[in-house]
Amino acid sequence: MINSLMKRFNIPPRNQWRNAIGKVIDDRVRIITAGLSIRELRAVMRGDPPTEKPNPRYKVITTSFIAHLRPRYYPQAATWFTHTFRLGFFTTFFFIVEVITGIILMVYYIPFPDQAYGSILEIESNVFFGELLRDMHRLGAEAMVIFSWLHLLRTYFTGSYKGPRTFTWLTGVLLLLMTAWLSFTGYLLPWDQLAYWAVTVGTSITEEGPVVGPQLNLLLRGGVDIGTGGLLRTYLQHVILFPLLAILFISIHYYKVSREHSISLPAVVEETELPPEKKKEANRRIDLIPDLLSHELFLISIGFFVMMVILYFRWFASPLETHANPQATPLDTKAPWYFWWLQGLLKIDPAAIIESLVNPLFETFGLSYRLELSLLLNSKFIMGLVVPPTLVIILMGIPYIDRNPSRLARKRPFAIAWGIAWIFVFIALSFMGTPQYGIETPPATRIIQDLAPEEGEGALREIPYAELFNRQTAYVVGKDYGADLCPGLSYQPDPEGDVNNVVVGCPHLTAVFNEFSDRLLEAEAEGRLPNLNAKLTVEQFQAGLVKVTPHVEWTDPVTGSPKTYEHTYFLHENRAQGE
Amino acid sequence: MKRVQLEIVLGTILVLLSVALVIILGVQEPQRLAQYEVQQRAEQIEFGASIYTPFCASCHGSQAQGVTGVAPSLRDEYFFTQRVKELGWSGSLEDYIVSVVTSGRPFSTRPELYGGATGRPPVMPTWSEKFGGPLRDDQIRAVAAFVMNFEPYALGQVATSIPLGPLADESTPEGRGQVVFNAAGCTACHTISGISTGIIGPVLDGLATRAATRVSSLTAEEYIRQSVLEPGAYLVESFADGVMPSNFGQVLTEEQISDLVAFLLTLE
Repeated sequence: MINSLMKRFNIPPRNQWRNAIGKVIDDRVRIITAGLSIRELRAVMRGDPPTEKPNPRYKVITTSFIAHLRPRYYPQAATWFTHTFRLGFFTTFFFIVEVITGIILMVYYIPFPDQAYGSILEIESNVFFGELLRDMHRLGAEAMVIFSWLHLLRTYFTGSYKGPRTFTWLTGVLLLLMTAWLSFTGYLLPWDQLAYWAVTVGTSITEEGPVVGPQLNLLLRGGVDIGTGGLLRTYLQHVILFPLLAILFISIHYYKVSREHSISLPAVVEETELPPEKKKEANRRIDLIPDLLSHELFLISIGFFVMMVILYFRWFASPLETHANPQATPLDTKAPWYFWWLQGLLKIDPAAIIESLVNPLFETFGLSYRLELSLLLNSKFIMGLVVPPTLVIILMGIPYIDRNPSRLARKRPFAIAWGIAWIFVFIALSFMGTPQYGIETPPATRIIQDLAPEEGEGALREIPYAELFNRQTAYVVGKDYGADLCPGLSYQPDPEGDVNNVVVGCPHLTAVFNEFSDRLLEAEAEGRLPNLNAKLTVEQFQAGLVKVTPHVEWTDPVTGSPKTYEHTYFLHENRAQGE
Repeated sequence: MKRVQLEIVLGTILVLLSVALVIILGVQEPQRLAQYEVQQRAEQIEFGASIYTPFCASCHGSQAQGVTGVAPSLRDEYFFTQRVKELGWSGSLEDYIVSVVTSGRPFSTRPELYGGATGRPPVMPTWSEKFGGPLRDDQIRAVAAFVMNFEPYALGQVATSIPLGPLADESTPEGRGQVVFNAAGCTACHTISGISTGIIGPVLDGLATRAATRVSSLTAEEYIRQSVLEPGAYLVESFADGVMPSNFGQVLTEEQISDLVAFLLTLE
């Protein structure tokens, strides 16, 4: 019936119009995929060989703009996991995470000193997924720094900077500097104490520069101190200038790898005699479509999953300290951990080192002359402005310094040893750069600061409110209070939780008081705090608010004058605990 | 299974797992936001307390109990229930506090009660850095949050507790006397190094030494007791009569006064 009707109205048979529609759809798909048909796409997903000749998968690379940045194929050996560890890939992955989360954060962030901190609080307290986005951005930034350093080390140890790839190495070093500068400029934006002082210390290095130093410092800070101008120009560098520069240099860097030199082959493949079948396998082409592409998507899903797991279990959280205060320098100014090596460098005084080496020689020869270099060799100038740029120049120049043509580790023992030595130097410098190292703080200040850092949590602030509630008492150091400061106290740490989960006494308060006493008494015994008189006072100050005051009195061992140091801490019952 | 297929399958599973984590986080998100706001308020109150003590306590008292003739109490029922209505202020009490702290007062609203004392600005100064003061907006907001937290005390919902001084040791009369010194509001007007910073009345450092020679017929102890109970009986030059409250004899018990005198006698 239908067939006769179709014949009568001259409608082509079903398989014919199905083919016609199929062809229209297939043409559209070919345009969107830049050359792959539906059948071909299916074969790609299944990992089957190409369905047409010539191979349409290569056509994509010449016709699509995005795909033309990609390699046609890599030799099989270049894709060994143990050769690249996918470090460059993950650096790029985190850069893209930064761009995406950064664009969303830009919607909420306000780059003016009187509103910046408030806008971060707003992101954390009033934006759906705001905390997650900020944590992702911070985690991505630290991961990007880690992966770019690891990528550099891998390239160094496999000797991949040699031969034709010298320029790629150079752009890579520039990208490392850009990553560092991006993270440094981003560090200021929350406008909290941590950020403000780290950046103030960081930019102060430029002050020592010859001729243009003070001008450069002024340019970076936008004034004598970092204020409205400084925050705005840092922000613009962070969101416009350096992302654009980074995209430009990533493109150059990546294009060199993908289209010009490919990923370097492992040295074993390139420089040693392998059996022919192994050699053939090592050089087998791994095509972009489908192998490289599906592997990259797989890596992206791993990267995203790992990030979500870390953030879900709160193994990482972006810090936010108190509002920036140009009048109050925190006791321990902290640069981000990946700049500790620089902070460590700044603690070295080259003048003192040379003097201590040379002056004993003068003494042995009976000369009264003593070398005085402290005016000539300014440590901030040498260690802040001469040494780091020199290191960067050496790093850039490695391909030209290292003339050894071989890339095999055993044929370049000196380069390998040199690289390992630098890793240790950086670890040692980073250790020296930690806020506590080499900075003499008066003992009473140090002890109280360790229990309750000006910024961050610390044992004192982590005492549960239940242990401090309604406790108008001064605990005197040196007096025996028995095993627990609060006999008779018991409380439920989680009021809505298990009724049997009860804490007896006040273990946290007792632990803090014991540490406070022990360290003070130790300092007294060492003669650093003579005539010690110290107390830890706990007072109910308001409904839901307690005041804790460590108070120390002593006689200055040098001048003999009485000294007092105390610090007041207010703790509210609803404060965030243990985060 | 080919490598491509394996990677596609595993990748899809990982993406689904990640999305599941995001969804769980999303379900918890409203609760987290609410909790963050509560914690934020708590931290604001802590921050406000640390600003109140150096900036506000010298006029409004270390416990915001007010100082007669100088500045009103910020923790009585009147302040929390009547003040805003009486002034015809249309906003909330917290906004009123922010406004007054920010821009100060050109003149007193209650000159007969709080005219100001010698050597002090007669009315609330401007605290905002916009108007020449030392505080940022977020600090003023924090102070207001701290003052608002006196509400449960003011309305009698929570029993008031009076903090100790930093050195108080309640086992001795001198230690208990220091508690009285704090509780009775003496800290608001008198300075004792390391304990209080009030500047309306005389500095009390070295009081025990001076008290012995002020009035020839009185010992140091008798002189101090008289000064607490009858402030006008003997006036040191440059200090006006009637500034120090004369009702401590009724407010404090005999034992508290003895403790207080014992404490003041330690100030050599």
